[in-house]
Amino acid sequence: MTPRDLFLTRIRAEMAKTRGLFPARTAARPADPGAVAETIRRQLAERWPAALERFREEFERVGGVFHRVGALAGVPQVVAGIAHEREIRRLVAWDARELGGDLLPALGARGLEPFAMPPGDLPDVAARAALRERVAAAELGLTGADLAIAETGSLVLRSGAGRPRSTSLLPACHIAVFDRAALIESLAQAGVFLELWSREEPAGVGAVTSFITGPSRTADIELTLTRGVHGPKEVHAVFVDAPIRG
Amino acid sequence: MSDTDLSVPFRRRANGALKDRHLQEALTIATTKFIDLRREAFGEFPEGEGLRDLAREIKEATLQHLDRYLDQLIDSVERLGGHVHYAGTSDEARRVVLDIAARTGARMAVKSKSMATEEIHLNEALEAAGVTPIETDLGEYIIQLAHERPSHIIAPAIHKTKGQVAELFAKELKREVAADPEVLTEIARGELREKFLKADLGITGANFAVADTGTIVLVTNEGNGRMVTSLPRVHVAVMGVEKVVPSMTDLMVFLQILAKSATGQKLSVYTTLVRGPRRAGELEGPDEFHLVLLDNGRIGQLAGPLRESLSCLRCGACLNVCPVYRQIGGHAYGHTYPGPIGILLTAMLEGPRSVKDLAHASSLCGACVDACPVRIDIPRMLVELRREGAERRIAPWTERLAYGLMARVLGSPRLYRWGKPIARLLQRPFVRGGTIRSLPLLADWTQTRDLPPVAARTFQERWRDLERETS
Amino acid sequence: MTAPVRASLMVTCLGDMFFPEVGVRVVRLLRRLGVVVDFPEGQTCCGQPLFNSGYHGGAARLAARTVELFKAAEHVVVPSGSCAYMVKHEFPSLLRDSAARESAARLAGRTWELSQFLVRVLGTTRFRASVSGRVTYHDSCHLLRGLHESESPRAILRNLEGAELVDLPGHDECCGFGGSFSVRLPEVSSQILEKKLKNIEATGAACVVACDAGCLMQMGGGLRRRRSKVRPVHLAELLDGGAS
Repeated sequence: MTPRDLFLTRIRAEMAKTRGLFPARTAARPADPGAVAETIRRQLAERWPAALERFREEFERVGGVFHRVGALAGVPQVVAGIAHEREIRRLVAWDARELGGDLLPALGARGLEPFAMPPGDLPDVAARAALRERVAAAELGLTGADLAIAETGSLVLRSGAGRPRSTSLLPACHIAVFDRAALIESLAQAGVFLELWSREEPAGVGAVTSFITGPSRTADIELTLTRGVHGPKEVHAVFVDAPIRG
Repeated sequence: MSDTDLSVPFRRRANGALKDRHLQEALTIATTKFIDLRREAFGEFPEGEGLRDLAREIKEATLQHLDRYLDQLIDSVERLGGHVHYAGTSDEARRVVLDIAARTGARMAVKSKSMATEEIHLNEALEAAGVTPIETDLGEYIIQLAHERPSHIIAPAIHKTKGQVAELFAKELKREVAADPEVLTEIARGELREKFLKADLGITGANFAVADTGTIVLVTNEGNGRMVTSLPRVHVAVMGVEKVVPSMTDLMVFLQILAKSATGQKLSVYTTLVRGPRRAGELEGPDEFHLVLLDNGRIGQLAGPLRESLSCLRCGACLNVCPVYRQIGGHAYGHTYPGPIGILLTAMLEGPRSVKDLAHASSLCGACVDACPVRIDIPRMLVELRREGAERRIAPWTERLAYGLMARVLGSPRLYRWGKPIARLLQRPFVRGGTIRSLPLLADWTQTRDLPPVAARTFQERWRDLERETS
Repeated sequence: MTAPVRASLMVTCLGDMFFPEVGVRVVRLLRRLGVVVDFPEGQTCCGQPLFNSGYHGGAARLAARTVELFKAAEHVVVPSGSCAYMVKHEFPSLLRDSAARESAARLAGRTWELSQFLVRVLGTTRFRASVSGRVTYHDSCHLLRGLHESESPRAILRNLEGAELVDLPGHDECCGFGGSFSVRLPEVSSQILEKKLKNIEATGAACVVACDAGCLMQMGGGLRRRRSKVRPVHLAELLDGGAS
């Protein structure tokens, strides 16, 4: 028998001894998460302003800073504003295709030093190490967001080709750009998307999905709330009114 | 060192904690704050009560088919290119991790907070094998620098002041800094950032593992969970077998109540869902992913008296509301898991003898059941452990004799009736002004409290008269 | 005319030996409310001290004899929350014999803690107080979390003529008694009590009301030791005038 068989056999032997269990069921999963997701989107076509308002409220409650622009082209100005105020300039960004547009020229023109992540992996170890140093030294990280959850003020980011994990993790200031397509109301709705994503996996999807609810925090010393332990000290969410992907 | 000395009897350990004025203050402030935050969070979340019931049901349903869900989890993880290991004991679990470290030539391991790796005492083993383990949760980092153990499941350094932390940093990191949480946190950020970028091995626990997708779920506030699973080239997750949940839909039920119970947040800052090693096209993430499934006494409780405690989410809510924990803190318990749930988990890991005294460290007030997100009936299981103590003669013979005598007297109305005049006779020298201020047999009890004497006429002795009264 | 309500008093061991006055008050109070009260002879203890310490064989024998004693009762009134909890929740599973189990289940359905009986069975919440001024209420753990009863005693106390009910900070927190717990870990128990007494004294109440003999022993013992002006009283001792 393999170690796996031995382990599971032991579990089965113990399970067989249980008596008087109460009937219990797991949570009801959507049979067709794609269809449910569609329904959610349809409902939000009308309800989105309220959801956005709730998102803003909750996001600010957890220490996030909310911005709103008319179109993607308005994002560089917001980013530059944040950078200038803090007197920082080194920025790393997701690949243009993942952001929904190439914002780097506009950012550069506003005095930032933007750097785009490669659209895929770097086979060369040295090149990868150099890139990591660059990200670690960056002060701003610019990403998209796959979901924005109103109930909790959370941003959900899936890792993958052109959308590395570190962009939203190593720089002290994280800026995420999203539009109506990402906006949902609740954690329960997020569950539908997680079900959907686990069923269809196009190439380029990465291994990690991160729920980010405000800046990194701790209360480990005398329960004093302190921001920015390991992750970003600041998180900004920029809502774009015009659909980012047309 | 500050590690609890288990040769000291529990009562003395507890009393030591009662005399630690700083600890007392810290405990009161922390537990009160956690209680308020939790109450507020559920106060504005009316669906919370139903979700707690549902969460409990999911845990139970999962345990009823644990073999199936683990089988599925293993398949899912392996399909993603991860490796699954099986550890029956702490020792086996440590060996698995050490083998991985040796094979991959790891010199430094960064860890995100994990009770499972505390439970198996992994750090000592890594150090002995020449791998430097670095705890990266700020509280755990402080504890590690101080060579102590966590005193609370979610706030490990709850017992330390900022002044003590500043002294510790000065001594261990050679950095003279102000006793300001913000400054101290900034120092730790710098120190640990360097380690994250340098470490070869990332070690985590798992708050949940989703069978259907092979997803390991880590919940943190600081972001160390993300660092540890993204930067080192190898990721090892150590999890108790009971942490598996069937689906993403189930997971969301738990996420809706976990942080609210622990810290009163709607959601912790980072919920990180990890599916195996780095994928094709991904720039970052570990080349290797290992999942260590840990038994360590859990499987034996599937049909055992402590089965219910397999539903525990490790949120710490029961600690905060426990009147005993609130007085003595985590260290006095003397084991990895403190508080009321800790007594049960200790019994699970180390057997009923290990909690001979701890099983009685509860007034059975039931505050823990109310606070528990999945409503684990902790007092019922504590009574079960006491029963085991009595029936398997773990309890001292003097105690068993006393209770045997009590059962005899209370079982016979005649003995019970005769006992009263005898008690009145015996208590006579100690009754002053209708109260007993000191009684030799209960000297410690009467140290702080008066005891009422057996009444001159008990109710039964008055009933005849009372019967004749007309209303 | 409808038949009068009949109730059997389960006075409990602590009530019998240490607080007989509570039992006497209960009997007089119920009689004034038109209840026919009897007191089955041969009562000792429900077995909770044995049960909680793990001596379930002895506890089961006490449970069996208690079930037998109250077999004929229409209602059983217990002036102590934890003993009522023991009867209602632990007796049925403690007894092995299926007939005894059934009797225990029947008894469980007819057993009430005093305030519950007054409010939920008799439907009375209006009483005259035997004291005047502020009173505060301590929720005993088994009544609150075991029997989920917090409203009945409060309904009575709120309506009490001549008395004003004030909130006790930490009203739902344990007083530190816990039976054998207070003997095994007397120092921890004392410190829990200390907090409770501070909270009680901070209310400025003339008396603290509880519905459990154990809590009254603990809190009363502490209050007397510190020569506090606050008087520990059982609910029954407060309800002097019957229905107003």
